[in-house]
Amino acid sequence: MNKAMKNNLGIILFLTPALVIFFVFFVYPVFFVASTSLVRWDGITDITFVGVNNYISLFKDGTFIKSVTNNLKWSMSGGFIHVPMAMFVALLLSSKPKGWKILRTIYFFPNIISIIALSMMWMAMYNNEYGAVNALLRAVGLEHLQRNWLGDLHTAFPALIAYWIFYIGYFMVIILAEISTIPESYYEAASIDGANRIQQTIYITLPMLKGIMGTCITLSMVSGLKQFEQVFIMTNGGPANRTTLLALYLYKQMINYRYGLANAAGVMLLTFGVIVIFTIKKIFSTNKIEQVG
Amino acid sequence: MSKKVVLGMFAVVLVLTLLFSLTACGEKKVPAPDEAKQTEPSQKEVVINFPSIWVGKDSKANVFGSFVKEFNEKNAGKIKVVVEEMADYQAYRDKMKTNIAAGTVPDVFSFNNAKDSVLYYKSGNLMDLTPHMNGGWKEDFIADALKEVTYQDKIMAMPYEFAVTPLMYNKRLLDKAGVAEFPKTMDAFIEMAEKLKGQGVMAASQMTGENGWFSMLWYSHLLVAHGGPDVFDRGLDDPAFLEAAKSLKKLFQYTTGDAVGAGAAVAGGHFLSEKTAILVNGPWFIGRIEKEAAEGMYEQVNVAPAPTVAGGKGKQGYYVGFIQSSLAAAKQKDKAKEDAVAAFFKYISTPENVKRLSLDSGSLFVIKFKTDENDKMSHIQKQMIEQSSSAPSITKHFNAAMDTAVVTEFPQALSGMILGEFTPEQFVEQLKQKAAQ
Repeated sequence: MNKAMKNNLGIILFLTPALVIFFVFFVYPVFFVASTSLVRWDGITDITFVGVNNYISLFKDGTFIKSVTNNLKWSMSGGFIHVPMAMFVALLLSSKPKGWKILRTIYFFPNIISIIALSMMWMAMYNNEYGAVNALLRAVGLEHLQRNWLGDLHTAFPALIAYWIFYIGYFMVIILAEISTIPESYYEAASIDGANRIQQTIYITLPMLKGIMGTCITLSMVSGLKQFEQVFIMTNGGPANRTTLLALYLYKQMINYRYGLANAAGVMLLTFGVIVIFTIKKIFSTNKIEQVG
Repeated sequence: MSKKVVLGMFAVVLVLTLLFSLTACGEKKVPAPDEAKQTEPSQKEVVINFPSIWVGKDSKANVFGSFVKEFNEKNAGKIKVVVEEMADYQAYRDKMKTNIAAGTVPDVFSFNNAKDSVLYYKSGNLMDLTPHMNGGWKEDFIADALKEVTYQDKIMAMPYEFAVTPLMYNKRLLDKAGVAEFPKTMDAFIEMAEKLKGQGVMAASQMTGENGWFSMLWYSHLLVAHGGPDVFDRGLDDPAFLEAAKSLKKLFQYTTGDAVGAGAAVAGGHFLSEKTAILVNGPWFIGRIEKEAAEGMYEQVNVAPAPTVAGGKGKQGYYVGFIQSSLAAAKQKDKAKEDAVAAFFKYISTPENVKRLSLDSGSLFVIKFKTDENDKMSHIQKQMIEQSSSAPSITKHFNAAMDTAVVTEFPQALSGMILGEFTPEQFVEQLKQKAAQ
């Protein structure tokens, strides 16, 4: 056996366990979900092939359409409000103002608290009878704005978005780490050329962050598509399905013993995820970043 | 690495994966140790595995644990019941459902009697208890309860815990509002609700969060009030579903401002803190009233049947009740093991043991037993037993009678109706759509 063959054998042997696990736990379930999305199946009795009927049922169901639009809104909020806010704070902290380390910890802190605990806390905050939000409104003389935030058709979904969107710590830390890798010499050169702080941010920092911004937006939007716990705990999709999301819709089909329909919704979720990833990848393609300096 | 090698490697992995998955999907089953010896009569100790939810902080955990211990001592060397503790009800339900689907049913397990439990019976994986019940054992049970677990003339489970969900009211608050007697009709009820409102108290706890439990129970009462005890037999097209929806919408005028979206903890908490005067719930809530209610409230809580409606088919004193849990067993090929399971079921369902369990936990059961004056029993539980015994009808609740998809949609449709998104007609239509989907 020559050296090249030995090398290849070694690579194959080292990669095989990971690939087997990948196929068994990722590829196979995807095929399983896709194939069972074409059947009627209650999980206990016999399976009946129904073709694309489950998909037709999905698109006829107003709740599914609502789930998709809500998921899109959630993902967009993540990509275009949550991540830019994280970037803004990261840019501010990157100049290392007094107390920046404490601020960084404070911003990151909600990320180490369980989602369930946070959700429960915000349910209490939004409560109509004893919630802090209404108490605050009363305190500042805005009684007329008081409402049952999670039980109102117009405020339930914005209230859900509003509660997590300010927890920017996770992406802030990622962006902050990326900023720290930008060579100081770029800023020194720009400074010699007479560029002020804002110009340095616009012409050096932001272009250098394009790649990581793409990653953060992808992560945030995909996470938006997968959202489940917060909505399940805080509203269970209500009132009147106004806050339902795809993962919750899928879960409800599953507990209704409609596994075929649930898996069809799962396939749609997967499809949306793939579309989001490819779109963001296209927009933020790092190959097109102009090298500075 | 050359492209050829990578492709070769990919092919090997793909074949391995397919082989693995096909093996997993195969029909062939490795026999369990018990099944392997099924043709021989069992000589050694029979072990019964029992994943149980009646553990930990469950109100029945204490006495039920004693049952298992006593049974094992009584049958030492012959039968041993091994309890697998599972305190999370939802996880337990999911696990049992998966086990039944996969054909790996535990020797003994419990389940709640929702409409979908018929799928369990259809699976063909459960033990038929009919031959054991026919020996006179079934005389201990309320006859209607056995009907609930009978599928194609076979008794597929042992009905066990029973629950009624009447109106629990705080007499102290009613007295303050000048209401001397609990209203018997809906008109009188609304009159009382207005008086309570005048005192700053809302009449009833309602909720649309989670599964809308308290409001679902209200809807069940109103359905019987309008449509009579057989209302569920006639399905969602019956006008009673619409009339009950209208009545329920009206009742939401007399509840707390957070009812839309509130869960059981919040809505139940309003009753315990005297923000509301009435709660519809089962006997398991008695313990919470005793321990968590406002000072002196427990003694003031009484029980009443729901009011009737003018022109309705529900007779005065009607009750909503249902089988809360049943026990089933895996189909056994080993006769000794089947007999052992039946012996265990018989032991935990003797009238004496059930009485012990009922008095200790506050729960009700479908096994008949007698009480005397010396038995320590909550006055609330006592009223529930007395009123349900003399009730002209006991009808199961909406969630137990309807398809799971309808049950899941109920809180959404209800919140839509309360917030004006849907009319009562559209509320019923929404439920029908889910039933038809």
